[in-house]
Amino acid sequence: MMKLVVATWLTSLLLLTGPDAWACRVCRPRVQAGIHTADYTANLLLLLLPVAVVLLVGVGVFFAPALKARLTSPSAHD
Amino acid sequence: MTEPLHRTPLIAAGLLMGAGLGGFLDGIVLHQILQWHNMLSNQLPPNTLVAAKVNMYWDGVFHAAVWVLTAIGLRVLWAASRRPDVAWSGRTLVGGLLLGWGLFNVVEGLIDHTLLGLHHVYEYTEDKLPWDMAFLAFGALLLLAGWGLIRAGRRDVTPRTAYGA
Repeated sequence: MMKLVVATWLTSLLLLTGPDAWACRVCRPRVQAGIHTADYTANLLLLLLPVAVVLLVGVGVFFAPALKARLTSPSAHD
Repeated sequence: MTEPLHRTPLIAAGLLMGAGLGGFLDGIVLHQILQWHNMLSNQLPPNTLVAAKVNMYWDGVFHAAVWVLTAIGLRVLWAASRRPDVAWSGRTLVGGLLLGWGLFNVVEGLIDHTLLGLHHVYEYTEDKLPWDMAFLAFGALLLLAGWGLIRAGRRDVTPRTAYGA
């Protein structure tokens, strides 16, 4: 029993004193540089373009009856 | 005089939510689980840790955008649910969802895969065109299915208020 306690204690100690887990601190500046290039705005706009198109279609469908009514109703100036 | 019933608010809600959820499905299944492509994987192949992490950033931007699309769709659905002049139809809503998913696939496929070449559906092959075309064809099928369901939903003419909600 004592052996098991010592073994568990030693294993825990070993795990605690091991190297910290860290997410590539060395390459982080290179990742940041890879994201914030001169093409950042172009990439962002191109990437968002399909979403913007779908959003416009959805909003257009939502307001379609109001737009249709406005276009087909006789103007006050007529 | 009774106001005519409208269907477009429910179709718009379904369309926006369907497109958003379709975008999530693309991101989760094709980007993360199968790892067939990333947003910029044709421009910056993820063959180093740095390149993979840069692609991961742009995948995150894409996910944020489709999250906004889904949230707006939910808001439109809420607005539609409170209007007495909106026909409350499961077929119309599901049709809108499929229409939105299909529209997203077709628009994203045409712009990102075919026109701009930001990425292709399956990057790990020499001939990427069949995969891109299959993606577009699937989108077109979804559009047809959605359109069919929306047409079938024309027969549902009960407003939500009639259900005592």
